[in-house]
Amino acid sequence: MMKDEKEKIDLLFQQNAAEQLAGVDWDELNTAISSRLDETEHSKTSVRKHATIFRIAAGIATAAIVLIAVIVGINRPEGVKLQNGRRAVVKFIETKGSALVEIKHAGGKGKAVVDIGPSRIKLVKCDVRIIDFNGKRPKTDQRPSWIIVKRAEPLFADNGANTDMVDIMCLF
Amino acid sequence: MSDSQKANDDIERLVVASQAGDKGAFDQLVRLYQRRAMQLAVRMLGDASEAAETVQNAFVRAYLNIGKLKQTKRFEIWLLRIVTNAAISQRRIAKRRKERIKIANGRGENDSAVSPVDKQIAEELKDAIQQAMLKLPKNQAKAISLFGLKGLSHKEVAEIMDCSVEAARWYVFRARQKLKVLLKEYL
Repeated sequence: MMKDEKEKIDLLFQQNAAEQLAGVDWDELNTAISSRLDETEHSKTSVRKHATIFRIAAGIATAAIVLIAVIVGINRPEGVKLQNGRRAVVKFIETKGSALVEIKHAGGKGKAVVDIGPSRIKLVKCDVRIIDFNGKRPKTDQRPSWIIVKRAEPLFADNGANTDMVDIMCLF
Repeated sequence: MSDSQKANDDIERLVVASQAGDKGAFDQLVRLYQRRAMQLAVRMLGDASEAAETVQNAFVRAYLNIGKLKQTKRFEIWLLRIVTNAAISQRRIAKRRKERIKIANGRGENDSAVSPVDKQIAEELKDAIQQAMLKLPKNQAKAISLFGLKGLSHKEVAEIMDCSVEAARWYVFRARQKLKVLLKEYL
């Protein structure tokens, strides 16, 4: 590009900028900026105030939820009979390796061996083998742990009446 | 201590005070830098009212983010970067506004040639520059505006644009090429 054209472009810009800036009322601009900053400061304070109110409300709501959960937990029926061949929700006390679940099923009292694996997962679907209450301990490398069934409401259809295998959902 | 060094120290003190929440100190920074910010915004947008809106937005952004400024001595560079970004945002608004005016008036893009006779030359030049700047890609618009701002070195321009000096020069070259075509009636 010719140097002359380059200079002309720059000159046009300078000319326009000078003309535009000549009409600016600097005090007015300053007042407008200050006013915007005041509004910003005010909304910042307002946001902080609302955040505090929100935190308090959230705290109250959390406390209420915890209270309701405790009341529901206390009132939950325990020792409900588990029918053989049905799925159930059980709560584990021990959560390491294999676990032995004591349950009551249609045929009487029994025990179930549950492999819960090494990981501490929140929810697991397990195959449960019902064993004789007075039978021998299962021959596994890991020692079984005792687990008390907290709730045993049948949830799903069974796997068949002539089998002693039960699927249970385990919460722990 | 030289006068410029004293002035820099004063500015740094105002920046530190602003970071500590002193709004009065920030107001002083506004008074010191509003002309500089306007010069840049006018160059980028071609129009004083659009520039004034941009500068207000830029100072609000600066006020909200001044706590993040680590190099307090670099306040001017930091502020000018905010102004260029605010001007890019304002360009979108200005473009939409121009489109609405065109539709409302039922005028085409080249109708400036049939504008009222009493329209001042300065007003026409402003419109032409504004239209031309809106057509430039944002990096070219930033570069040509910053290069024309007095007192900024090429290195500082590159720093504001977050690119190399060579890249900034290239953007200026490309911008001038396009402006040569867009403003040919005035050259």
